[in-house]
Amino acid sequence: MRRKPVAVTLVGLMVLATCLAVGFVSIGGAGAGGGDGNSAGDADSDPDAVRRGRELYLTGCSSCHGTAARGTDIAPDLHGVGAAAADFQLSTGRMPDTDPDRQPEPKPPAYTRAEIDDLVAYVASLGGGPPIPDVDHPRGDLQAGGVLYRQVCQACHSAAGNGGALSLGNDAPTLHGATPVEVAEAIRTGPSNMPVFGPDTLTNRQVNSIVRYVDYLRDPDNPGGAPLGLVGPITEGLVAIVLGLGFLMLVTRWIEPRSMRDEPQGPLIHE
Amino acid sequence: MSSHQREARATNRIAVAFGVTAAAAVGLAITYGLGGQSQVEGALLAIALGGLGYGFVEVAKHLLPQGPYVEEREQLVATPEDVASFEQALERGQPWLSRRGFLVKMLGLAAGALGIAALFPLRSLGPNPGRTLFHTRWRKGTFVVDEQGERVRVDTLDVGGAITVFPQGSVGVENSQTMLIRLTDRDFVTRDGRETWGPEGYVAFSKVCTHAGCPVGLYQQQFKKLLCPCHQSTFDVPDAASVSFGPATRPLPQLPLMIDDDGFLRSQSDYEEPIGPGFWNRGR
Repeated sequence: MRRKPVAVTLVGLMVLATCLAVGFVSIGGAGAGGGDGNSAGDADSDPDAVRRGRELYLTGCSSCHGTAARGTDIAPDLHGVGAAAADFQLSTGRMPDTDPDRQPEPKPPAYTRAEIDDLVAYVASLGGGPPIPDVDHPRGDLQAGGVLYRQVCQACHSAAGNGGALSLGNDAPTLHGATPVEVAEAIRTGPSNMPVFGPDTLTNRQVNSIVRYVDYLRDPDNPGGAPLGLVGPITEGLVAIVLGLGFLMLVTRWIEPRSMRDEPQGPLIHE
Repeated sequence: MSSHQREARATNRIAVAFGVTAAAAVGLAITYGLGGQSQVEGALLAIALGGLGYGFVEVAKHLLPQGPYVEEREQLVATPEDVASFEQALERGQPWLSRRGFLVKMLGLAAGALGIAALFPLRSLGPNPGRTLFHTRWRKGTFVVDEQGERVRVDTLDVGGAITVFPQGSVGVENSQTMLIRLTDRDFVTRDGRETWGPEGYVAFSKVCTHAGCPVGLYQQQFKKLLCPCHQSTFDVPDAASVSFGPATRPLPQLPLMIDDDGFLRSQSDYEEPIGPGFWNRGR
């Protein structure tokens, strides 16, 4: 038997994860000291909310993220992820997750809004990470947002915001169900396989513009009429062939005179 | 029902159909005049043309005499007289050909000149790209800029961030498009001999797929893989963008980066190998 006992491996992994976590926190602390103006305001968080959030955390989240929120081999350390990440994951129902081996799927949230606020306060109290973005997308520039969307977002989320496939069983989700705050949170925190776009990469103004464009994509102008899901030539071709050609076949059948339809088919040969 | 009654009813239907066409045409004109609405205009045009078509078919089916009619077919065999006159016509040209004179030579010249002229468009297969496929716009010390032309600084990307960048002054130049990814906040080494290429965790790879030249723009942050949308070639970024899946056979070339004293990202040099898909003299 060359395999190590499972317990030994698990303990080893947990020790490793803890070491890594401690390492990350010390780095994160140093970074926060630099004052990038990007960390959640811990000072104004309500201690009661943090306490309630911690209780909810211990019952609902600690089995994967650990009782001290330091992470385990199946779930990340929550120190340094920040309020925006917690709010995004909880309010889109991605967390709590049922299968850590797969990309978390959006579903109806497991917690009420008040409970999510408490949990977010607790995660924010662990320090670091971006705060919940202050989105003011009506003030964004729709046209600039469209340009940025096509440069930054379209490759994965598709030109119409319908999402698309990635590799290793993952996908970029559709954006049509996301609220403005959720879109901004995803930009700032980079959930799952999405890259992170911090305030030095995209300004708040640019995020407002992108969010406004994403909001526009929920009900875009369709000069051609029925958008057919805006998934491109596959549905359009299907409709053209099945409905269009089918209708034309019926028309040809109708045009043909009944007398010819009844004519027995045979060669007309005159010797 | 007598044929007379049938004809009368068909006439009524045809009249109604043409009337519908007229009404839809008026509606179309009014809609256009009121500012237009493409779907309504399309529907009215379809009704107008449909009424016209319906009317024509009804005319053909009910008002015109009905077939089928069988016509006697003519004999297809040529008569001896036809054959004789054809042979005579053919033979009239023979003396002209057998003289093999000046005109035949001129014909040869014309055909030859045309054939040679047809060879000239072969030049359109060129010009020979020369060494252009081996270089991009990146040079020693070129500033890295984003798609808006803004210079990228050491703090532009958070860890886990990724953007498309270009050499300063060459935004949009296809062969120079580059994916800039921040893997960590410490220097990152993808290969022996590339120790200085990834300052502060910034690594840069050509965005042109080595398979068929598509833009490899789908960065999966969790797995640190770049995915090509065309044929799903997947590149493992920390392992110097080696191919972990798909039809590509070569890693994406890495651009050596450096950070200058003012904190701006710049390239140490051009790519050290040709970017993009293979070509016949790539190895030379």
